[in-house]
Amino acid sequence: MEKNEKSVYWNWLAASFALAGIIVFIFATFGPPASSSGFVSVLKGFLQAVAPDYATAKAHYRMSPGPDSWVFAFVLGMAIGGFVAGRTFKIPVRDIPEIWEKRFGPSRFKRYAATFFGGFLILFASRMAGGCTLGLFISGSTQLAVSGLYFGVLIFAVAMLTARILYGETGKEGRHD
Amino acid sequence: MTKILLGLFSGIAFGFVIQRVGATNPDRMARAHLMLESDIPKFMLTAVMLSAIGLYGLQTVGVGRTLILPTSLVATGLAAVIFGIGWGLSGYCPGTAWAALGEGRMDAVFAFLGGLAGTACFAHLHERLVPLLYDPTNLGQITLADGISSKPVAVLLLVGVFTLSVWAIDRFWGYREPAR
Repeated sequence: MEKNEKSVYWNWLAASFALAGIIVFIFATFGPPASSSGFVSVLKGFLQAVAPDYATAKAHYRMSPGPDSWVFAFVLGMAIGGFVAGRTFKIPVRDIPEIWEKRFGPSRFKRYAATFFGGFLILFASRMAGGCTLGLFISGSTQLAVSGLYFGVLIFAVAMLTARILYGETGKEGRHD
Repeated sequence: MTKILLGLFSGIAFGFVIQRVGATNPDRMARAHLMLESDIPKFMLTAVMLSAIGLYGLQTVGVGRTLILPTSLVATGLAAVIFGIGWGLSGYCPGTAWAALGEGRMDAVFAFLGGLAGTACFAHLHERLVPLLYDPTNLGQITLADGISSKPVAVLLLVGVFTLSVWAIDRFWGYREPAR
């Protein structure tokens, strides 16, 4: 049942070693990796250009690096890495995931509205906690931080519950990609 | 300049790997959350424990920089709940949104725009929300090593718990024939 997909995606264990190598490299050459702060650096750069007074008045922008930083270069790199990997991949990208289409139909508006709202929630929350899946769960747990482990357990549990409520039995019939 | 190039290089490698393992595909992420597909969670947890071992190695030779984020019972916990709802709904987290955006997924573009809006919103409310939610239950920069006092034992404990979790995910995630 999993043959088709297994042959396309990397083996998870090999990929884990690759990612851990990159993470350790980042700790050695920079410090704890993060990606939600990349969103802050984009906004900070934008606000410094259009509303410099607001950018200096707000603590959240004062404490975060702007676009001339490691973290902004990192998130930009992630987009480039995603672009290169996507262009050289066997499966074409979809704008609406299969499981979503099965459950909610092919409406682009519905899917984009949902990811916009989802994106809003994950970044609002990441900025409240001080980090995201990478900046708090992965970076934190790697450093044995209780904050990262606490955050990690809860995000997995709540995401699993949310997906269950959202999709119900959809997807259980089999794989599609 | 070096830090920019290092960041760019690290990001490209990171984005490439998470795309290749399928973490930027929200369909795969949704099925991971539904306990139908085990590769992504196994990948995440294994990468963390290997990184913890690697970082311990770095620290014993005195290389690298660490920064422990504080644990605020209320703010970290509430944020995790909000985050989990957004993650389950969209299938994206902040890091995968960047890579999926580069990959050319239109729904990731909207997740990204929503992310900018969410960031702007929290940044605007920072002065009001942090003293209200974060500071009162802030336990400080606590780590597993505080309770155990021996760093290598704490690393081993983390590796043990994560290995057990990976085993459990491997065992309990996946397709089962529908009961009829």
